[in-house]
Amino acid sequence: MDEKEKLIEAYRAMVLSRTLDKKIVMSQRQGRVGFYTPTMGQEATQIGVSMALKDEDLIFEYYRDVPLMLHRGVQPAAIIDQIMGNSSDSEKGRQMPSHYSAKEHNFMSVQSPVATNLPLAVGAAYSLKYRKKDGLVLTTFGDGSTSTPDFHAAMNLAADFDLPVVFLCENNKWAISFPVEKQTRAEIWKKAEGYGMRGVKVDGNDLLEMYKTAKEELERVRKDGKPVLIEAVSYRMGPHSTSDDPSKYRSDDVKEGSDKDPLVIAERKLKMLNYIDDGIIEGIKKDAKENIDRIFDEREKIPPPTPETMFQDIYEKSNWIIDEEKGEIL
Amino acid sequence: MSSKTMNLVQSINSTLDYMMGKDDSIVLLGEDIGIDGGVFRVTEGLQKKYGAERVMDMPLVELGIVGMAIGMSVSGLRAVPEIQFQDFIFTAFDQLVNQAAKIRYRSGAQYNVPMVLRTPYGGGIRGGLYHSQSGEAYFAHTAGLTVVSPSNPYDAKGLLIKCLRMNDPVIFLEPKRLYRSQKVDVPDEEYEIPIGKASLVHEGDNFTFITYGSMVPTVMNTVSKNNLDADVIDLRTLLPYDGETILNSVRKTGKVIIVHEAPRTLGMGSEISAFISERAIDYLLGPILRVTGPDIPFPYRLEDYYMPNEMRILKAVNKLQQYR
Repeated sequence: MDEKEKLIEAYRAMVLSRTLDKKIVMSQRQGRVGFYTPTMGQEATQIGVSMALKDEDLIFEYYRDVPLMLHRGVQPAAIIDQIMGNSSDSEKGRQMPSHYSAKEHNFMSVQSPVATNLPLAVGAAYSLKYRKKDGLVLTTFGDGSTSTPDFHAAMNLAADFDLPVVFLCENNKWAISFPVEKQTRAEIWKKAEGYGMRGVKVDGNDLLEMYKTAKEELERVRKDGKPVLIEAVSYRMGPHSTSDDPSKYRSDDVKEGSDKDPLVIAERKLKMLNYIDDGIIEGIKKDAKENIDRIFDEREKIPPPTPETMFQDIYEKSNWIIDEEKGEIL
Repeated sequence: MSSKTMNLVQSINSTLDYMMGKDDSIVLLGEDIGIDGGVFRVTEGLQKKYGAERVMDMPLVELGIVGMAIGMSVSGLRAVPEIQFQDFIFTAFDQLVNQAAKIRYRSGAQYNVPMVLRTPYGGGIRGGLYHSQSGEAYFAHTAGLTVVSPSNPYDAKGLLIKCLRMNDPVIFLEPKRLYRSQKVDVPDEEYEIPIGKASLVHEGDNFTFITYGSMVPTVMNTVSKNNLDADVIDLRTLLPYDGETILNSVRKTGKVIIVHEAPRTLGMGSEISAFISERAIDYLLGPILRVTGPDIPFPYRLEDYYMPNEMRILKAVNKLQQYR
């Protein structure tokens, strides 16, 4: 695939993700979905990095990475199945919405406690190095995560053992109601230096800038096997979750369609390159809308998992305690 | 059948050695476990034999050691983290409870965590508040974890081999007071001890002692010195514990004394006592008694008063003797 096709595909994934995002939020308002953490505003950050990934790379993502997953090939149906917690969900409806697992695309299962995925990413990178396998490990997290002990531990260990980990901080400026300026006195990318690691900052709203930086940095990681911290600055255009009301704590909204919207920036730049025009844009948006509407209606009809599945997969082999409790409840 | 006489440290060390020789996915990581062989010398010589890539000396960060071990274990390795003292595990508690224990379940079994976390626990070595705690109940309260504690070198080998072949996270609690206190014959050949299976280490008709870990020798000494006609059950696995062996004994004796070092409130004894009263209350001839550590932090200078001992166990025996 040449650069032009790659960028058009990336743009298509951005649109698909935005469309899915809005569909799920709207469905939540209609009472068709229980909960969701919108990703609007972070499409360029994630897809720019995804463009630089290879199939063998492992990803320890967090709960706002739908654009990354869609670009890497996870089907919208799989995202919707997880959101619904239906019987087709690969997690068997066990996790609240936005906590995906997709092993076939090397996505680890998502947890709620922030940054606890980071030390795991370091361990997985150790596995790659130990087995002399190609590939790197990408781990993603928000600006709030940089205050956790897990962030510190993981950064220190990855640098210490020279491991191929890409720490992608998706700085969307807000940790629920807490702004990044209060989260830390330091610039996030500069924290890398304290661990003896390379750190870079990039405009995470700009797909082309993001891709350029990710390509350079990931190539470097593949070559020298050492970690990097990428701070991608974007903006959480939506609420933290569908249960959150941002008007209580912020007024600096970035409106959809404004010139800070990553989708608008991508359109402008790709048009300047003559890769797309208004007709193509319209076609991509129309396709996405039709697809998502159709898939959503389809997946919504899938029944929930059967009750006995809640007692499965606690261990490889169940034990008498769980079996007895199952007997009492079912 | 050939065997060697060894203590608990030697048994765990030689079992790790044996299993590492058979399975190159086993990687050990922890503080001072490599060049120093571990503060209790449990991993002595292993780094020299298998290299620093397989016996990793780690920076001082328990949550990082455990988190990294989980990451290794979801990506093809079988990590064996050591936490130097169980008292230091709490910064890694989030990793154990929210990651290790839940990954199989939350991923719909797409991922699992074949990790064996080893850690010395319990008192009796003049360790004070932070080198003596018995925190098994914290882990036994967490679905997804398996919690085991051997009380002797023979069981340690069989349990460790079994745990190193399981595909789920195990908390392997080593009673540090017993590390060098007893030497027994350990067969050279490999054997597994099943998970969830207690050991009836003494048989009798009048009492049922239920215990595990460091308290097994204490109870056994009390029983033999005083010629008590008693069953002594060494649980070996705390989660899932062996309900069947417990009930079989209780139905025979009707008198139960649970002995553990950990504080009484919501300790293993609470669960076992509730379990017995739900299933065998008609067989009981007296109250289920617990001889345990008190509900206080672990004291340094006065630790002998903290540890359950023969005198306290006999007090419980005497109390139960008043019943029929």
